[in-house]
Amino acid sequence: MNPAMWISKTGVQAQDAKLQAIANNLANVNTVGFKRDRVMFEDLFYQVERQPGAEGPDGSNAPAGVQLGNGTRMVGTQKVFTSGSLQTSNQSLDIAIVGQGFLQVEGPNGRPAYTRAGQLQVNAEGRLTNAQGLRLQPEITIPAGASSITIAENGMVSATMSGNAAANELGQLRLSNFINPTGLLALGDNIYQETAASGAPTEGVPGADGLGKLKQGALEGSNVQVVEEMVDMIAAQRTYEMNTKVLSAADNMLQYLSQAVR
Amino acid sequence: MDALIYTVMSGAERVLRAQQVHANNLANLETPGFRANVEQSNARQVAGAGYAARHLNELVSDAVSGREGALRETGRDLDVALQGPGLFAVQLGNGEAYTRAGNFSLDADGSLMLGKQPVMGDGGPINLPAHSKVEIAADGVISIQAPGQVELQPVDRLKLVKPEFAALRKNEQGLLVARDGQALAADESVRVGAGRLESSNVSAVEEMVNTMSLARDFEVQMKLFKSADGMADAGNRLMRD
Repeated sequence: MNPAMWISKTGVQAQDAKLQAIANNLANVNTVGFKRDRVMFEDLFYQVERQPGAEGPDGSNAPAGVQLGNGTRMVGTQKVFTSGSLQTSNQSLDIAIVGQGFLQVEGPNGRPAYTRAGQLQVNAEGRLTNAQGLRLQPEITIPAGASSITIAENGMVSATMSGNAAANELGQLRLSNFINPTGLLALGDNIYQETAASGAPTEGVPGADGLGKLKQGALEGSNVQVVEEMVDMIAAQRTYEMNTKVLSAADNMLQYLSQAVR
Repeated sequence: MDALIYTVMSGAERVLRAQQVHANNLANLETPGFRANVEQSNARQVAGAGYAARHLNELVSDAVSGREGALRETGRDLDVALQGPGLFAVQLGNGEAYTRAGNFSLDADGSLMLGKQPVMGDGGPINLPAHSKVEIAADGVISIQAPGQVELQPVDRLKLVKPEFAALRKNEQGLLVARDGQALAADESVRVGAGRLESSNVSAVEEMVNTMSLARDFEVQMKLFKSADGMADAGNRLMRD
């Protein structure tokens, strides 16, 4: 069969996958701490049919060779860890990480998980958790009757107790960072897990060792840029269309061929 | 039998395969750093006495288009685009291969990678120590800010080369290699820009027009195919009647 059909198929498939990533990015345009996915493509292997300089049947050297490509392939999706825009929410338990780093939570399977979404909550036992109720590590307990919780730039959590003028220090939030954050496994629910590709986490105090500072009363919005996604979507759609055109051109050629021999 | 039908066959075969080249270019319209393959039709004389006037057609396709692709701003520190002519070098087996794709990433050991290939620096594959910030300057020098430090310090430099595109071909992985198989020397004059990516240099219009015109070419070949068949048929009828 005409190989151009299979090659166009890879192009159509690739754009299909890209559209799926764009749709997911756009759906998460208002998700706090969301990082956009980027689909990366590469060209498939080439068939080298004749090396340049190969000897032809008549003894002469071929001046140039034939190399035929086999289409495109999705290499993978990359999370793009640029920072999102900061939104001020004035909630005392909302924190934004300004710079690099992840908050560590105890993941659903007991393994540590990492997140950039800073919508913190207090559970029934007074522990600080993320929006899904996963406990923050190291654990910080807010005692009953505490009022006006303050989270400093370096992660120090303090609260004033009723009838007490001075604030009590309750514990310090820590941040973790990875040499290759792109290699983290996205688990959904705004959380990530360490993989062999991401490297081991390095933990530190916010604001030191290249880690970001914490800002209380603010949230980091999604880093999806709507216009960029829209432009990408148009490009994907048109590329899809053009690959289908080649598909139908290849189909027409086969039709001419079968008509000619009829 | 008249050789017309074989000449037509060589033409039709070439069109089918040329279509493959254009289909591959269009499928890679969105592959960063992809260089379009160029396809060309070549007349080839049939060897032997009495065939001097007979030429078959064959496909030649091992050249790569050197046109530059459009630059896209991405904001990622490890996305690097070449400004003007030049190529990045990556390690391939024991040798080197070259590419215009600059979507680098780090692996868990801090090696700078392009897909599965390590990226070459001045003295071999580049490895970045633990850092809180990485910057790639216009001349390819990679500077990092070590944790706890304020100043950026240079650690390595991307190997950048500037060969003529005519001296390059694609290997099976789609990476560019020198036609003579030798490693190229680094060129100081190549400039890069971080935070952006070069898109594929495939011109969609050109590829579409070529695809359509090839499909029509094929139709013409099929018409000739039919006339060769008609002529042979007429000859056969002459014998029968």
